[in-house]
Amino acid sequence: MKRMMAGLGGALILAGGLAHAQEGDALLDMSWDEIVETARGGEVNVFMWGGADNINAYVSDYIGGQLEDDYDITLNRVPLTDTAEAVNIVLGEVEAGAAEGAVDMIWINGENFRTMKQGDLAWCGYVDKLPNADLVNFDNPAIANDFGTPVEGCEVPWSRVQFAFANDTARTPEPPRSIPELIDWAEANPGRFTYPAPPDFTGAAFVRHVFTHVAGGADALIGPFDQAKFDEVAEETWEILNDLEPHLWREGRTYPTSITQLQQMFANQEVDLFFTYDPAEVGTAVANGIFPETMQSYGLSDGTLANTNYMVIPVNAANKAAALVTQNLLLSGEAQLEKAQPEVWGAATVIEPDRASKEVQAGFAALERHPSVVSIEELGQAALPELTPDWTSKIEDGWIENVGN
Amino acid sequence: MSARARMALGVLLIAALMAPLVPLALWSVARGWFYPQILPATWTLEPWMRAFAARSDIPGALMTTTCIALAAAALALALGIPAGRALGLYRFRGKALVELALLAPVIVPGIAVGLGVHGVFLRLGLTNSALGVVLVHLVPTLPYVVFVMSGVFANYDAEAEAQARSLGARPLQVLWHVMLPAIAPGVMVAGLFAFLVSWSQYILTLTIGGGRVVTLPLLLYAQAGAGRNDQAGVLAMLSLAPGLVILALVARQLAGRGMSIGGTR
Repeated sequence: MKRMMAGLGGALILAGGLAHAQEGDALLDMSWDEIVETARGGEVNVFMWGGADNINAYVSDYIGGQLEDDYDITLNRVPLTDTAEAVNIVLGEVEAGAAEGAVDMIWINGENFRTMKQGDLAWCGYVDKLPNADLVNFDNPAIANDFGTPVEGCEVPWSRVQFAFANDTARTPEPPRSIPELIDWAEANPGRFTYPAPPDFTGAAFVRHVFTHVAGGADALIGPFDQAKFDEVAEETWEILNDLEPHLWREGRTYPTSITQLQQMFANQEVDLFFTYDPAEVGTAVANGIFPETMQSYGLSDGTLANTNYMVIPVNAANKAAALVTQNLLLSGEAQLEKAQPEVWGAATVIEPDRASKEVQAGFAALERHPSVVSIEELGQAALPELTPDWTSKIEDGWIENVGN
Repeated sequence: MSARARMALGVLLIAALMAPLVPLALWSVARGWFYPQILPATWTLEPWMRAFAARSDIPGALMTTTCIALAAAALALALGIPAGRALGLYRFRGKALVELALLAPVIVPGIAVGLGVHGVFLRLGLTNSALGVVLVHLVPTLPYVVFVMSGVFANYDAEAEAQARSLGARPLQVLWHVMLPAIAPGVMVAGLFAFLVSWSQYILTLTIGGGRVVTLPLLLYAQAGAGRNDQAGVLAMLSLAPGLVILALVARQLAGRGMSIGGTR
């Protein structure tokens, strides 16, 4: 008991004394070599969705191993089920005035990033310090905008993903390849299709595909939120989805609550169509025995939504120097190539391979994808930009009110 | 009841308790097991090998979970035995209120408690540490210990202590030779409850530990949430282990002396 009280007192002193241990501004005045020296021997706490073994192993073993060997930095990967948990930790700390945050980096995009940027929870303005940032084309609008929110140096891109559908060719040889075809197909095959109810991330993305289709394409929805436009498109979208409802799994009386549930339902042959925001996951699921070998993934003829995911450093991160070194490593040609290997992860890169070394270029040219994963080039021919969070949250709320009720 | 009938009833009870766990056990040795297969088509030890591979989080999490549960149970006993004695032996003004206050953490949802405690612990510098997690585990464990112990003390005859003192025993001797032997089975039950309740905490561990204190339930939720039934099966089996082991070890003790003082409610 005595020892415990002593520990408690010690912790209190620590929390008070280290209030401003590592200021971000001081780091920005340093050269890259000085930043690396500052980071050496430290640790970095990376908070990220932890549901995929292969992704966990890539970060812990490949990235963590190199940080350990080259910089003597210990990488602690903290698994999350929902990224908002990490944002809430940072928010709580900043509100309580804790300058020494527990979170050094979060795998993030979309609304969570907007929350951090608007709440001044993200550390900004360090990106040109990273030598490997030269490999990224920050003028590419798909990288400069995170779900329509300008990135403006407040986060660093990590991977690209694009929405894709998937089917078992042994069960469904001719899957629908556009939203109108999908609606006809669902009506012709009652009970064999459903989608996770928004606010599930992937389910909401499916609803956005229908919404975009009704609007006549993504171009009609680019830019700031437009209430008149929304009302017009939304009315027809809800009508289509409500008409579809009786043909869905369990006559649409209930919807799956997560993409994981849809994955299990597909595996148990309750439904015949699956979709995902990361087609590499289809390959992983085949490798893990969840999906059959006869699985294929594919895009839609009128395009599917695409987005970029990022790494953000919270404004109160305790180990900013180590976080910078980690981000620089994540962006290196070699690390991006390793991540793109189908047996590692199969994630699409955010760097321009032709800006990287000859070996890395050759590696990207020689990449072989998992047979069940649609090729990035094929999918990328029709990539739709994501809508801004104003649109996406209005669409989610509208679905819950008009369709999911 | 005849011995045979008792035996049959016991077997039935065990089967009913175990049946829901069979699919979990099967998943932990299956590679893909989906409708319409009745049993997994492919058997494999791979999930278990992965669980104990060099880079796996699981051995470390097992250790952390065990240490935290032991510490939380010990602390809960240290605080709960005196409280239980006061509640069980004495009548005092406001006793019902004290009992209600002690029960409150069991009634209020864990997430509400967790968020409230998080703010306080942040200011105290107790977040993201195993110590903070042990302390917050007192919230759900302490009520169990206090109520088991107050039940034990309600049936405890404090006259025996007076007799020992009149024979010259010092306070510590009274505690050691008179009180503890009498309440030992109750202490064991309370300690087990506290250990198992702490062992299975998720939301309090996540909020206060900030994801830095990685226990088995955290890994189990992550794997189950990601649809990795095989890995979740392994973690579920590991999570069940202490309960089964402890039960097997102390079953005789619980059934025997525990009942003789009628102290386990």
